[in-house]
Amino acid sequence: MKNGPLFFLGLFFALTLSWAGLALGTHAQLGELQPHYDDLEGKAFPQRAPGIASRGQLVYQDLGCASCHTQQVRRPSYGADQARGWGDRQSVARDYVHQKRPMIGNSRLGPDLANYGLRAEAAGQTKADLLATLYNGTQGMPAYRFLFEEREIVGERSNNALQGVAVAGHELVPTERAETLAAYLLSLKQTYQYPEARPYAPDENQEGAH
Amino acid sequence: MTQTTSSTASHAVSEIDTSSRCALSFLIFASLLWLVTGGVLALLNLVQVHSPDFLADCFLFTHGRLQAMQETSLVYGWAGNAGIAVALWLLSRLGGSALRGTNYLVIGALFWNIGVKLGVYGIAFGDMTSFSLLQMPDYVQPLMLVAYAFMAAPGVLAWTGRRNDSTFATQWYAIAALFLFPWFFSAAQFMLLFVPVRGTLQSVVSAWYAQNLFSLWMAPLAIAALYYLVPKIRGKVMPNYDFAIYGFWSLIIFGTWMGGRHLIGGPVPAWIPTVAFGAAILVLFHHIIVFLNMRGIGSSGGGVVLKFAKYGFYAYLLGAIIDAVFASRGLAMITQFTFFQNAQWQLALASFSLIMFATLNYMVPRLSGAAWPSAGLVRGHYLATILGYAVLIISLGIAGWQQGTALNDSAISFETVAAQYRPWLLVASAAQALLLVGNFALLVNFVRILFVRTSESSSSQFRQPANLEASSS
Repeated sequence: MKNGPLFFLGLFFALTLSWAGLALGTHAQLGELQPHYDDLEGKAFPQRAPGIASRGQLVYQDLGCASCHTQQVRRPSYGADQARGWGDRQSVARDYVHQKRPMIGNSRLGPDLANYGLRAEAAGQTKADLLATLYNGTQGMPAYRFLFEEREIVGERSNNALQGVAVAGHELVPTERAETLAAYLLSLKQTYQYPEARPYAPDENQEGAH
Repeated sequence: MTQTTSSTASHAVSEIDTSSRCALSFLIFASLLWLVTGGVLALLNLVQVHSPDFLADCFLFTHGRLQAMQETSLVYGWAGNAGIAVALWLLSRLGGSALRGTNYLVIGALFWNIGVKLGVYGIAFGDMTSFSLLQMPDYVQPLMLVAYAFMAAPGVLAWTGRRNDSTFATQWYAIAALFLFPWFFSAAQFMLLFVPVRGTLQSVVSAWYAQNLFSLWMAPLAIAALYYLVPKIRGKVMPNYDFAIYGFWSLIIFGTWMGGRHLIGGPVPAWIPTVAFGAAILVLFHHIIVFLNMRGIGSSGGGVVLKFAKYGFYAYLLGAIIDAVFASRGLAMITQFTFFQNAQWQLALASFSLIMFATLNYMVPRLSGAAWPSAGLVRGHYLATILGYAVLIISLGIAGWQQGTALNDSAISFETVAAQYRPWLLVASAAQALLLVGNFALLVNFVRILFVRTSESSSSQFRQPANLEASSS
């Protein structure tokens, strides 16, 4: 191989091709994706998360929660995601259009969290319960004690203090980071039935109806 | 083999080596420090999986942060420094003249290592990004790019100033890696950190970057070293050298499309994993051709260099086959999101590291003009590394398979899943510790060789190169 310029041009072109195909190709497909406006409900989906939840996402990112938790539900026929109660439909690109840093994750040491807020709601779990779980940990998840601070009670108790853990005269208060993280986790919901999220199921009964 | 390499083969210790001794030794020293650091972090990280409460009270070492720190140390610290050192050494040897621009190299390497260090601290203190293998905080990333340009400059000079107009396979792979890294590194920084693209397009770009890091950087550097070492030590012509060029281009063209294999079933266009599967099959053409040219690698004899190279190459082939097979939807349904993916990554890392160990074992005595001070440490490093990687990869693979099948059965709770794979992770932790011991032995031996005074007696050993590479048997 003697032709230096052609060699470098070839290298450059090979990488540009994959970049154009994957990055620009996906951009062409998803770049214009808009929230879906539902006329009946008079709202656009997905709904924007409240500001406190967006700040909580940064805590989720910097603690590296994504190293054990995914936020993507696979379609019901692919794996046991639906059977484990993680979501009744697959996650689609539209679910993430409002997220600055979608963290779909690549490891499931813990459960998927794409619909964590929905599950907590159904189980009647409040923010205080979630904070207690973060403080105590579970069998597989470590306790995140550094997200809480113990302080002396001066005057009245803080109304967000955890119940029954601190010694007398002290209280255990979640830091702002813990509060925002909990708000973020409780905001995670992928509920709206977008047309593209319906599983492909050829239904013979409906065929004549259209 | 072509005449290109034989021109420098006649004298093993040459001005080419001694002139770049200081600069390259600095890079190798830094790379080995990162290798040991990354090994410690990887061990802590693995222990946390079977004992979640380990270090849980320390906010610097959450599982996610430790994982990012160990990956950054190993990829940018170990692979970055060692890869550049090996690439520059190969390019200067094959270019037939001493390395020029070593000042740039030293300055670049200094800032590169400062960058990795800042990056690791930044992750520990909560500034990590959300992209795997690109976790360093955004304020470090531009520095890394500039430092890289300085480090790679001597490689470009060695290529343009080469004595021989025709080039050898080693040079294609080495120069391609040096040239392509800044391209995709800057594109990823731009599209993910500074002007982030929307939604899950970030996941696609991130997967593209992570795959390029292996297919267009680590793999070409390893193969460059193989094409140099194997014919040189075996002293034989490569049987299918005419095809080498097709092998090269098939890696460059297909390898870069494989990133989407981890996005199967995810919220991205469905064609991305499909294309990745196709590319993972097509890239095997590259592996076949390299295999044909390296056929002599498996035969017995030939010191620790060739043994490292042999196992590194086998890991490379096995990794490619496993990547291709498990990029299919049916199998990925089980292995996706499990330790099996960690095993695949460790296999890729092992192929790179083992071939780098082969090259360092060949190159360091020549650079410093002395034989390894301790043959025992060379042997210890070899045995610990081979055994460590084999056990680590197999145990992670088994743990991942168990985890995957159990996760797909919704009747099995997470606690039961964890209890099933825990014994295998204990084995994996032991293997990781063994790797750490081996790498520490290499570091100690390297530090000692730096302080060996070159004497007439040691340079006489170069006349019988067989003495130089400590035998592992």
